[in-house]
Amino acid sequence: MKMSDSSDEEQDVNYVLFKDRPDWKDIRPIEQDDDDEIVAIHYTDKFKDVHNYLRALLKKGEKSERALELTRVAASENPANYTVWQFRRDILKTLNKDLHEELDYIEKFILKQSKNYQVWHHRKLLVDWLKDPSKENYFTTLILNKDAKNYHAWQHRQWYMKTFQVFDGELDYVDSLLNDDVRNNSAWNQRYFVINNTTGFTEEVLKREIDYTLSKIKEVVENESAWNYLRGLLLHDKEGLSKNKTVTNFCEELYSSNSQSPFVLSLIVDMCCEQVQEGSGDSIYTLERALQLCSDLELKYDKIRANYWKHMADTIKRKASGENVEEEPTTS
Amino acid sequence: MSNIQLNFTGDLHKKFLLNFFKSLPSFYAHLESNRLVLAFFSAAGLEVLGELESLKPEKKEAFVQWLYSLQVVDDKNKVSGFQGTSILNSAENRGQNSDYRWGHIATTYAALCTLLVLGDDLSRVNRKSIIESLKYLQLADGSFKAAKEGTEDDMRFVYCAAAVSHMLNDWSGVNVDRMVDFIIKSISYEGGIGQGPGLEAHSGSTFCAVAALALSKNLHRLSRTQFKNLRRWLLNRLNGGFNGRPNKPFDTCYSFWTGGALKILKAYDFIDTKECQDFILTTQDKYGGISKYINVVPDPMHTYLGLCGLSLMGVYELSPIFCELMISERANNHLKNIQEKWKRD
Repeated sequence: MKMSDSSDEEQDVNYVLFKDRPDWKDIRPIEQDDDDEIVAIHYTDKFKDVHNYLRALLKKGEKSERALELTRVAASENPANYTVWQFRRDILKTLNKDLHEELDYIEKFILKQSKNYQVWHHRKLLVDWLKDPSKENYFTTLILNKDAKNYHAWQHRQWYMKTFQVFDGELDYVDSLLNDDVRNNSAWNQRYFVINNTTGFTEEVLKREIDYTLSKIKEVVENESAWNYLRGLLLHDKEGLSKNKTVTNFCEELYSSNSQSPFVLSLIVDMCCEQVQEGSGDSIYTLERALQLCSDLELKYDKIRANYWKHMADTIKRKASGENVEEEPTTS
Repeated sequence: MSNIQLNFTGDLHKKFLLNFFKSLPSFYAHLESNRLVLAFFSAAGLEVLGELESLKPEKKEAFVQWLYSLQVVDDKNKVSGFQGTSILNSAENRGQNSDYRWGHIATTYAALCTLLVLGDDLSRVNRKSIIESLKYLQLADGSFKAAKEGTEDDMRFVYCAAAVSHMLNDWSGVNVDRMVDFIIKSISYEGGIGQGPGLEAHSGSTFCAVAALALSKNLHRLSRTQFKNLRRWLLNRLNGGFNGRPNKPFDTCYSFWTGGALKILKAYDFIDTKECQDFILTTQDKYGGISKYINVVPDPMHTYLGLCGLSLMGVYELSPIFCELMISERANNHLKNIQEKWKRD
């Protein structure tokens, strides 16, 4: 909840209230019905005026050029009013307006209000009506240049890419973002999204992606985004978490080079857990090692989650003794 | 950094929240569409502070009246629910249905919660109409949009649909299988849950998804692997304060979004929240209210969620929260009594 940007009109000393506009003389303004002082906002004259005329036009059902102008002012006063945007779209349709002009208008709007749901939704519907996503890469990139983790921009980008099947160049874009900031979790997510919707995680792709991810982890070990991506990749490995030699060798190297990153340690714990459960005889992923790592995490490297590691140690121990201790997600 | 205080300043937060029951300056105009939600955060915040009684009985009564004045009952157009504001209403259309006068699922959720917090018995809520309208908000993929037309659809509104169904004790407005399917498909490779399939996991949407599963008694639909990865992802959101996504800064509101989801999954006790508690204290404004980060203007949402986050830590004698509905245990017990009465009627 941030303060609204002051609209262009507010700085415009020549702004004329609707009640003083000659071409609105035929409309009788309608006051808001609200006497109670519960979260009552002290509106400016301009805000009150435009809404008096909005109520009048909604009652009349007028969809005209001047109604379009009115929604523009109303939207600038309160961009979160979804009804105003809906009314505006109904007018655009009725008047058969040039939607490319509307795209330009909303582009400027979103650049000022890039975390507002309603303006993004407006843009989405326009693109959907036009069946034309050709400006969207440029536009969302513009927003992401300002904030590379803007959830709305990524959501919009995924929507049109999937709807219109336009993924060309996206992996390169993601790569450039990760070169700028290897901790950009949104970019990692987009990487997964693109692959999932294009080639899929074939054996070949999986190998390429694992190499890519490990090289990024080498750059910065303490990077949850990259470790999460690695775990995500291993979900596609039919052998499980602990059988990919490239990954296990990498982790062991890190471990023996004295890395105490909780991300490395916790992945090895899960690898041990998998092998202990399967009863497979890989000598380095043992119960004893899991318990040692859990204890290290609890007491030294991840104290903020100490109780979790105690719990994990306990679970693995009981599992090893043949108890069925799988935790079930239950509803209280 | 003059406004950093490491004492809990509950009295100032009370004053801050009480301001929202008076007239607000014009810079709040951009929140006009969500006046009802502001009212919810303010009333529920007072409740968590144990200060609901500082609202005078006449004020509470006027408040309840105001909430009901925003109820839309329109069986013809199937748009029943609560409006977030009276901005479209005039003396001429009072109590009548008209174009664009539609309920909104998030404000319907907030209205019901607020009524419960205020001790209302929900007898004037038109349960049948609201549930009937809910059906028209669910999309083919199982997600929900917020109103008849003109709104986006995502996990926030899935949560609202589940919470409304739970509160009104009637799930006939929701295709629960489809809803669960949508939630499961929105689980990210990271373990957390996004606003929809393919989207980045986020603590806000993860809370919505987990609470919707819990309220509809479907947590068991998560596989063991999904459950463990979800829990690990949530636990890793704590790095001093809570963030909402990996490699993002702490933000007060995630002390509830993440903390609440962990509580529902019975994993809250796995973490040490002392540092997070200190972080929230630093986001208190010297004139009251809690903000997103240090030295940012406070608002009712971050104040309420910060208070809820502190309540989960069991400090400052704050009222316990029933996380699934994001209201106090007391308000939830009040709801249970109302539902018992409905069963008898």
